Amino acid sequence: MWSIKLGCFCFDLNSFYLSTLLYLRGQFLPRVTAALQASFSSHSCQYKSLTSKWKYDYDLVVIGGGSGGLACSKEAAQLGQKVAVLDYVEPSLKGTKWGLGGTCVNVGCIPKKLMHQAGLLGTAVKDAKKYGWQIPGPIQHDWVTMAEAVQNHVRSLNWGHRVQLQDKKVKYLNIKGSLVNEHTVRGLTKAGKEMTMTAKNIVIATGGRPKYPTNVPGAMEHGVTSDDIFWLKKSPGKTTARLLTWCLSDVALECAGFLTGIGLDTTVMVRSIALRGFDQQMAGLVTDYMEAYGTKFAWECIPKRVEKLSSGALQVTWTDTKADQEHKDTYDSVLWAVGRAPETKALGLDKLGMQLNKETGKIIVGADESTSVPNIYAFGDIGEGRPELTPTAIKAGKLLARRLAGQSTELMNYDNVPTTVFTPLEYGCVGLSEEEAEKRHGKDGLEVFHAFYKPLEFTVAERDANQCYLKVVCERGGDQRILGLHFTGPNAGEVTQGFALGFQCGATYSHLLSTVGIHPTCAEELTKVNITKRSGLDATVTGC
Amino acid sequence: MAILIQLTRTHTPSWFTIKKQLFSTFRRHEKTIRRSMASDPSTGEPTRFDFLVIGGGSGGLAGARRAAELGAKTAVIENHKLGGTCVNVGCVPKKVMWNAAVHAEYLHDHSDYGFDVENVLIHLSDSNAKIQTIHGHATFTNDPEPTVEVNGRKYTAPHILIATGGQPSVLSDAEVPGAHLGITSDGFFELERLPKRSVIVGAGYIAVEMAGILSTLGSKTSLVIRQTGVLRNFDAFISTNCTKELQNTGVDLWKNSQVTSVSKKDSGLEVTIVTKDPEKKNDEEKISTIQEVDCLLWAIGRQPNTSGLNLTELGVDTDERGHIVVDEFQNTSRSGIYAVGDVCGKALLTPVAIAAGRKLAHRLFENKKDSKLDYSSIPTVVFSHPPIGTVGLTEEEAVKLKGKENVKIYKTSFTPMYYALTTRKSPCIMKLVCVGKEETVMGLHMQGLGCDEMLQGFAVAIKMGATKADFDRTVAIHPTSSEEFVTMR
Repeated sequence: MWSIKLGCFCFDLNSFYLSTLLYLRGQFLPRVTAALQASFSSHSCQYKSLTSKWKYDYDLVVIGGGSGGLACSKEAAQLGQKVAVLDYVEPSLKGTKWGLGGTCVNVGCIPKKLMHQAGLLGTAVKDAKKYGWQIPGPIQHDWVTMAEAVQNHVRSLNWGHRVQLQDKKVKYLNIKGSLVNEHTVRGLTKAGKEMTMTAKNIVIATGGRPKYPTNVPGAMEHGVTSDDIFWLKKSPGKTTARLLTWCLSDVALECAGFLTGIGLDTTVMVRSIALRGFDQQMAGLVTDYMEAYGTKFAWECIPKRVEKLSSGALQVTWTDTKADQEHKDTYDSVLWAVGRAPETKALGLDKLGMQLNKETGKIIVGADESTSVPNIYAFGDIGEGRPELTPTAIKAGKLLARRLAGQSTELMNYDNVPTTVFTPLEYGCVGLSEEEAEKRHGKDGLEVFHAFYKPLEFTVAERDANQCYLKVVCERGGDQRILGLHFTGPNAGEVTQGFALGFQCGATYSHLLSTVGIHPTCAEELTKVNITKRSGLDATVTGC
Repeated sequence: MAILIQLTRTHTPSWFTIKKQLFSTFRRHEKTIRRSMASDPSTGEPTRFDFLVIGGGSGGLAGARRAAELGAKTAVIENHKLGGTCVNVGCVPKKVMWNAAVHAEYLHDHSDYGFDVENVLIHLSDSNAKIQTIHGHATFTNDPEPTVEVNGRKYTAPHILIATGGQPSVLSDAEVPGAHLGITSDGFFELERLPKRSVIVGAGYIAVEMAGILSTLGSKTSLVIRQTGVLRNFDAFISTNCTKELQNTGVDLWKNSQVTSVSKKDSGLEVTIVTKDPEKKNDEEKISTIQEVDCLLWAIGRQPNTSGLNLTELGVDTDERGHIVVDEFQNTSRSGIYAVGDVCGKALLTPVAIAAGRKLAHRLFENKKDSKLDYSSIPTVVFSHPPIGTVGLTEEEAVKLKGKENVKIYKTSFTPMYYALTTRKSPCIMKLVCVGKEETVMGLHMQGLGCDEMLQGFAVAIKMGATKADFDRTVAIHPTSSEEFVTMR
């Protein structure tokens, strides 16, 4: 205990010392170093590594302490680079703020999965009765217990990240970073103090933040986003989660799922379709399951305004575009999950002339994560066309660090990225959706094997398994290489990972069939699937 | 934060509810299955089929169904319930019980997560394939052509498959006085109520699963093992961890121990156990008793069901333990006679028997000469608490086969995120056994929450010859436990 506290003390002192030093050096060094760099722009690594030690304050400065930025900075430090990572959390509109680790740890994957787990436990209680457990009285959920436990876990992760940075000798600066030129970063502390530092390479990994709809009066004043929902001090009560799906946002469904699971009356408003970009048959199964388990859906509806009534309730007015009618209802909370916007505002990118995608505002990046400005790289959610996923950011960040340290030339492969949506019925997939496969190979070029299966867990619990489904989209010719693999069911995340590895190795349909199944599991159904869509036969799995 | 539910041991499950649901369904199967019986008169002339299957368990039924689908006139002979061990007294009821036990664990976690705290539809014979069912015990006759007699009627076929499976081994009263007072895994599923005090004998996966289920459901459970660890033919990493986890979940473990006698008292069984640590040569044997036992379960292995088949007359070879000897194509030593599944004593798993039965049907009735099951890299899950997943070589096997210098091990151990909120914690351990310069992954072993569902996909990749580099190239799914396999260093 004592040693931790001592370590913390040293850490802060060091930070103070270094930032003062940086401030002084930053005044004149950049201009000199930039000139030097220009005259020796050859790719002689030897020269660079010899000089960078004194030429710049750092080999690498990473702006953004999320999953990607942390992975990149730690990897670089382990390869002997001198690294600083700048992280600063701008509070949400509702004033929610958090620590080191970015979206995934604080307001994304981690709290979401934990609350998803809480939702699953709600269903498990009902199942337990069928399994013979005698539970008296109605079950109630206490938001505060859950939220405090989740938040404590997140705080422990924040702390863990700081310790890791310290162990790996990465300089952590809790300041807001912006770019001055291709080798210089300006930092602004919470207290308004400015500092400058120079670096051979600069990496932008500031990620994104949830958007609010712009044309709905009252949306910002009265609504929350995923930045707030996990940190609410009290239950959001009767919630309406509104979903607009022009991006790949699965947040709305995941939030609505766990809110329903812990017993809240939750409505999802959907502009057109859910889970755009995902296989739409699978998306349909996910939402059907949610409807069957109590989540309400208002399909093809567009909210018009949100007003706060004197009772404190929120009155939402919306247009049902199917019937072109206007409706009103009251809710305790409104959660907006209309997509995410990149965090570029404060970076000063325009002064550097960095190329951005005009529509998305994201930074245009090359296969090696380079931007249009030399020595500046960007990856993760902020990179145009990159998947908004933690593991891809972590992997891309590590590979970038290795390349920048001259240790490797390996590029990040953004294909074959598996993912799982943690809705009450989990959905895991890797590869192409059936629609996309059809587009690329034609309907006649595909063989789709599929099965509706019943998890053994569901049988005694007398649960409906109509949405437990899997399909394997294969090339029709040749050795029937797998193009896409989709699975809905309990533990889909855990099921999918191994198959993603098989997919990465180039698995064919016969590879699945030649693997002995594990009995009795849900995953084994993927090695038994044998009904093709083309045959039109009933795909319901029977037998043992 | 009013906690309405006090989660205590008084929350024992209604054992009867589970049983009722399980067995009502199985009974229904029988009704549907017994629809077609051999109807030919007893003329002395054997009834001819293309394919005759002795044993209506998973392997026999799978082979029979596939053969029938391929056009063969097929019959299955079964003297008990169709479905065999897996459905009636094995995997299926076991997993249902395991699920019930998992719920017990969840119930304990509920308060941490903020909570105040149509039947089994497995149709066995719904295939369109036409299979005749013959009820009764099969015996091979001495006719020159292999022929089977059931209830005085004779049946023959050019291809006869023996898929009679196995049954739990039992000890005689001569070996252990009072041994008959105990039950086996078959009897376990017939228990009418949850035993208060259980003693399980054995260190194999069945013993581990039964001990886990009984203990988690609230029975005070002791496990008697002859040496110091359970699952000794598993990777030592798993064996050690599983032994520790059993103790963590409250199983009272008796190492270096054997049951020497059992006697019946008014208050239940009295089990006498002798304990001696072989490493402490000077130690005396310690004799102890466990009293008021209402369930003594022998889980000391399984033996093949071959009695009464008249195999020696037939010229079918068996090994010293009575298992039928088969080649890689399931051929026995007599041509036209085949065997699959537990009766062969190799990889005693339902999907293995099913796959072998189907492969055989394809070879015999579709003329696929090379159709056989590859017995390497067969994935296995043990439904312990938490579950174990394993495929391929153990570290010990790899070192023995390939040499220590050619084997590289990757290991990790962590607490799954589910436990972030709970006071109950249980680690997840993972291990990769890699061989050669390419670091081909030849073995994967794990124990932890969710491992049962994690394994299958990895098994596909390992069968494809995946290397450590392939693991590294695969993008993780976040946040899961299985992602640790692709982010291992």
